[in-house]
Amino acid sequence: MTALPLAGFLALSGALLAVGVFGLLTRRNFILILIAVEVAMNATILNFVYFAAFAPAGGAGISGQAIAVVLIGFAATEVAVGLAIVLGLNRLKGTINVAQATELKE
Amino acid sequence: MSLEELAFLLLAAVAVGTGVAALLVRELVHTILWISVFFVDLSAIYFLLSAPFLGVLQLGVYAGAVTVLLLFGIMVTRKRIFSREAATGVGPVPLALAVVTFIFLVVALGQFPSGAAPVQSYDPSALSGALFGAYGPWLLLLGLIMLGGVSGAIYLVREGRE
Repeated sequence: MTALPLAGFLALSGALLAVGVFGLLTRRNFILILIAVEVAMNATILNFVYFAAFAPAGGAGISGQAIAVVLIGFAATEVAVGLAIVLGLNRLKGTINVAQATELKE
Repeated sequence: MSLEELAFLLLAAVAVGTGVAALLVRELVHTILWISVFFVDLSAIYFLLSAPFLGVLQLGVYAGAVTVLLLFGIMVTRKRIFSREAATGVGPVPLALAVVTFIFLVVALGQFPSGAAPVQSYDPSALSGALFGAYGPWLLLLGLIMLGGVSGAIYLVREGRE
């Protein structure tokens, strides 16, 4: 039976979420923005696995892992749609810099 | 400090470090290399939390499929693959916002439990029982969303759409 620090995991997923938010706010390349979203998403999934691992024995802890499986699928779908947008943007503008995707502004 | 705690500290440091490095390096292909290390590292954390099925899923879906998909996205959108990004720099406002997010999460929300606790391990067959039993509708919803996502992706990139 392995014993692990309880607070460390919450701090780790908080730090990863902060890294994701930081990347989302600073990067201008669409692919980098997708990666930042993935980092933030992974922080969420880690939280679900964490709470499943430290749930009281005999409880419904397994549901955390089940939700994590579903979330990994959601994240994969999100990358697929994001890359389709990247390709469309690249064809339309010749660049994937989001600062130049301002069609909807006017 | 036990061996598991040491392993966790090491893995957590690598996770945060590679996450930051992936978003800060200027060559996009290096970003992909860092982020694949990040995904493999998280899969190791799942193994440490005795969730072997999720660890394997993380390796297959993230370190495998998502990494290759992102690499493919870079490949088809640039003339020279190893070209550098324009330097964007680290503005003080986003950095401050990220730090404030972290502090908020740690201090305001966290009444942290202290000490170490034993990790509960589940049989993968119990996970599959939950996925196809109580969480069956969620799995079905995941399939529908994936179908919608793939149809939307094909609609977005199809030929002759202006």
